[in-house]
Amino acid sequence: MKRKIAVAAALAASLFGAAACGNSGSDEGATSANGTVDGKGKTIKVWLMVDAETSWKGVVEDASKRFTEATGAQVNVEYQQWANHLTKLDATLAGSDVPDVVELGNTEFSKYVFSGGFAELNKGDFENSGTWLSGLSGACESEGKTYCVPYYAGARVMIYRTDLFEKAGITEAPKTYADFLSAADKLQTGNAADKKFSAVYMPGQYWYAAMSWVKSTGGEIAKQDGGKWVGQLSSPQSQEGLQRWVDMVKKYSKADVTKNENEQAGIFSQGSGGIFYGNAWEQGVAEEVRKDPNDPNSELVPTKVKGKLAAAPLPDVPSFLGGSNLGVTAKSGNKELAAQWVKYFTDSKSMEGLIKASALPNATALLDKAATDNPKIAPAALSAKNSWFPPNAEKWADVEKGNILQTMLTDILTGKKTVADGAKWADEQIAATLNEA
Amino acid sequence: MHAVDSRPAPAQAPQATPPKPVKRVRSRGQRDSGVAWLLSLPTLLILVAMLGYPLYRMIVLSFQNMRLRELFSGATPPWAGVDQYTKALTDSVFWGVVARTAGFTVVSVTLSVLAGLGIALLMRRVTRGVRMFMMIAMMFVWALPQLVAAQAFRWLTDSDFGVLNYVLTQLGLDYDTHSWFVNPWEGWAVITALVVWAGIPFLAISLSAGLTQVPKELLEAATVDGANPWQSLRNITLPILKPLLMIVTTLSVIWNFGLFTQNWALRDGHPEPVYQTLATYSYTQAFGRSIYSYGSAISVITVLLMLGVMVFYIRQMFKIGEVD
Repeated sequence: MKRKIAVAAALAASLFGAAACGNSGSDEGATSANGTVDGKGKTIKVWLMVDAETSWKGVVEDASKRFTEATGAQVNVEYQQWANHLTKLDATLAGSDVPDVVELGNTEFSKYVFSGGFAELNKGDFENSGTWLSGLSGACESEGKTYCVPYYAGARVMIYRTDLFEKAGITEAPKTYADFLSAADKLQTGNAADKKFSAVYMPGQYWYAAMSWVKSTGGEIAKQDGGKWVGQLSSPQSQEGLQRWVDMVKKYSKADVTKNENEQAGIFSQGSGGIFYGNAWEQGVAEEVRKDPNDPNSELVPTKVKGKLAAAPLPDVPSFLGGSNLGVTAKSGNKELAAQWVKYFTDSKSMEGLIKASALPNATALLDKAATDNPKIAPAALSAKNSWFPPNAEKWADVEKGNILQTMLTDILTGKKTVADGAKWADEQIAATLNEA
Repeated sequence: MHAVDSRPAPAQAPQATPPKPVKRVRSRGQRDSGVAWLLSLPTLLILVAMLGYPLYRMIVLSFQNMRLRELFSGATPPWAGVDQYTKALTDSVFWGVVARTAGFTVVSVTLSVLAGLGIALLMRRVTRGVRMFMMIAMMFVWALPQLVAAQAFRWLTDSDFGVLNYVLTQLGLDYDTHSWFVNPWEGWAVITALVVWAGIPFLAISLSAGLTQVPKELLEAATVDGANPWQSLRNITLPILKPLLMIVTTLSVIWNFGLFTQNWALRDGHPEPVYQTLATYSYTQAFGRSIYSYGSAISVITVLLMLGVMVFYIRQMFKIGEVD
């Protein structure tokens, strides 16, 4: 009961804040990111996710420096954790002391755009906006208006052990899905002595992966039909893809079926895996770790698999296009400055920095450049060209929060449900969630 | 219980002078209760501010339909009547969560009270040194924050790096990469073990304090009369301990019924449907999916369910008070 009350108190506290600050941000027109703004003596608050801190802090600092030179305003960047950032954001946006710029995952944005959390921006003010990756910008746009700016993308690739491939007599990265399976087979037989060995390390709740397999056979998660969302996982194509994934996981993976992909690089770095499916930068995460995980400036120490990894597009399986967007909060008191900072942080110069740090840039125009400039992300850049994106539904984030796909996958892998039953259940849940008034 | 009952009665004013005894007594009583109210005023104010008002807002919220839009804009959410309650009470998922929470509460409270009582009885038998050691060990367990304990259990039972799997494998069992949360019974066994383990210190220490109230002579006399230890326990120790047992059991029910931290942390912040309890379910609805009103309605129902259970216990407690 105490906890109920704590929840209620937190809610009430948010309500207080909301009541105190009143309405703002509606019908004001788009905020311009061009022109000169005198920001002397002002500081804007930016919320970025922790990835920026661990992988491309220099890009953030450089963009902020250029922004400060141009406007005179200071920047205060606060790095957030993925696990609780939405709850924190909700509580903060209910108050009046809000961050001016906020990064959100591309699948998370629609809900906030719909709820009036972000200010309208002028698309044309931002570099490369003509060729923004649609998987990112889709969530930013509503009724012809733009509410956020694509920041970076990540496409998933297969990351594999070159030494084990060699030992198993596999000379090149698989070119077809059949090649991929035969490589997995060889790895499995070659490493049968290690009881923990997974030829393909695939945690059971890794729904981005499972849905990529669904897409590979022409399946869909959900589609809009006459204004209503309809779950599509029960369609024959979707079930075929799902079955393909389940067969592969059951045969080649010893990963925990109740885990998701968050720890996969760390687990893979222990050496008991042949292939895993991850973002391009996860190769680096698997090869090197910070000596003190709590200190992003501590030295990097090599893991067991250092220098033994390579990446390639997973053949015949379209990649989920993950990534982040940046928005200017509707309640921000420094909207113009905030938009200017976003402009600097997403311009071609910053994108070059991101490419160096093995993240994919926000526009198709830059993808080829990425592939040539940084061979490490060439496979990901290729993958990004053949990528998919979850339904652009306002309530999609609730499907993720509701663990619908994750639960379905675990239930299928443990044999609690058949593919058909699991898909049918998930379709019902997805439709109920997306169509909820 | 005695502390509650020993309020000085107004009738205890024998020195009252004959002419207007009634008035004197009453004014004395009024002054007493005035002071009592004054002294409890700060507590009452804090309770009203910290519990009463949020509770009131939560109840109001449960009759509205508040979403993210209203949260951001500060607009009054539209009224929804009893829609949120209808939605919850007609949802089989919700009832599944209720049943699971109740089942867990019964099992975990039974286990922890039995274990606590057992340890308290054991502490009477062991030597002073061992007793001290047990006390200190339990104090450490007690002092550990719930979240830290839950995180430690999560690591112990981790499928890839967990010590538990390692030890079982060393013992010759095939527990390599065994996941403890695939089978809900196993998963709940881990959660229950954690909750019972963390709950024992309070119970054992409180009950062992209560056991000091049981006169040794009485037990010795019973032994002389031929009672076996079991009979002594049932007919002497437990009746004396009953009021205290009642209170600690009630508290355990309240705490365990509101299970949140343990299943939340063990499932890494996203419990699957089979690991949802009322507290996590309401949190997920309100803060995960931003259906604040539905979350509130679930919370109100939870409070009402708790009160339903509590009425029974509170009545018991008053009965005990009257007998005393």
